[in-house]
Amino acid sequence: MTGSGAELIRQMVAGDREAFARFYDRYAPLVFPLIQRILRERADASDVLQEVFWEAWQGAAGYDPARGSPEAWLVTRARTRAIDRIRAMRRRSETFVAPLHDALAAAPADPGGDVAERTEDRRTVQHALAQLPSAQREVIELAYYAGLTQTEIAERLKQPLGTVKTRIRLALERLREVVRPTT
Amino acid sequence: MNHEPFDTLAAAYALGALDGEELVEFEAHLAQECARCAVTLRESYEALAALARSAPPAVPPPEVKQALLSRIAAVAPTASPRRERGRGSLPWIAGAAAAAIVAAAFTGAFVAGHYEARLGQTARELTATRQRLEREIAALNDQLAAYRSAADLLRDPATRVVTLRGLGPSPGATGWVIWHQTVGGQLFVANLPPPPPSKTYELWTIGEGAPRPAGVFRVDAEGRATHRVEPVEGGKPVKVFAVTLEPEGGVPAPTGPMVLASAK
Ligand SMILES: [Zn+2]
Repeated sequence: MTGSGAELIRQMVAGDREAFARFYDRYAPLVFPLIQRILRERADASDVLQEVFWEAWQGAAGYDPARGSPEAWLVTRARTRAIDRIRAMRRRSETFVAPLHDALAAAPADPGGDVAERTEDRRTVQHALAQLPSAQREVIELAYYAGLTQTEIAERLKQPLGTVKTRIRLALERLREVVRPTT
Repeated sequence: MNHEPFDTLAAAYALGALDGEELVEFEAHLAQECARCAVTLRESYEALAALARSAPPAVPPPEVKQALLSRIAAVAPTASPRRERGRGSLPWIAGAAAAAIVAAAFTGAFVAGHYEARLGQTARELTATRQRLEREIAALNDQLAAYRSAADLLRDPATRVVTLRGLGPSPGATGWVIWHQTVGGQLFVANLPPPPPSKTYELWTIGEGAPRPAGVFRVDAEGRATHRVEPVEGGKPVKVFAVTLEPEGGVPAPTGPMVLASAK
């Protein structure tokens, strides 16, 4: 049932708190693991989770279904907030590099397929990530989970910036290719 | 014109990995409403959202939902619902009932909070009025100083006036920088909405190399701001002025969305 997330957002615009509760129940299990994965500290992740849903409630009127799914709307916001925070943490402490390394080492190579998979295309996107050449997957993971910018990735991998940019473009082209037919 | 460089920038932008001058360049390109990049970004955000499912499972803490529901109930009391006309009334009643249950669970905290609020209210109102007047006088003085320095600057033939256009989240915003390469200048902003909580607006000067931070500034309730801009070290030229939304206190390199920028 597509569109029902959009319907909940529409009801939230009208001030429907129950719709918000349902919206939360539906999307928090998707968004929280991502935030937790980026920030690692549960307390930080809880703060950001609250901030993201609070903004969704307040900014519901700004959601435009023509510009993307509710999932993309929320996940993009969650990633931005989590990465803002991790960048601020990293500025405060350069020693953060070590935990960052652990975080990446802990990344599941194959995400597996049992948890809350609702549609075929999502499975395919994960599969597509697993199928990427490891150099491409690496840059995606450094940006997606560790919040590194392309310049930071280039420094970290000791690769020319141009190489990193090309890897990012190719990887995203592949991932988009998988999503395109269903949107 | 060859669009390929923008395809590369769009991918990094969607990932949040674009930085420095390229971020400025790409946001200026986006401000021209490029349809091709809009499609690329939309599809990229969908693909990246689907990737969220590859994070290891974690159960959202239940207290977050409770905190959100009580926060919502506190902000929008049932006496003034933003009720939808017609068929919306039933879900709203159900919503109110759910909120009432949550509110009941938090009654202790709520009553204590409200009572304390009442007690201190009068005293706080008095203090607030005095502080507001002091702030207003200080703000007027600042503004006067800004206008004076702008007027002085404008007498110098080397001074130029740069217009900044609103982008992305704030298309209605405008800005002007009255700029002198060796003396610095003043930024004037209008119609810029106040930043969300724990965010601030930061000005950047872009010439050779990475964007340089040129200070954070506050926007008043009418969306106006004035901000003194120091000259770049060594009096180096500035090609572009840009304003981004950043974490409170500002950052050394831009990370947030661009809200205002001058043309190149
Ligand atoms: Zn374009």
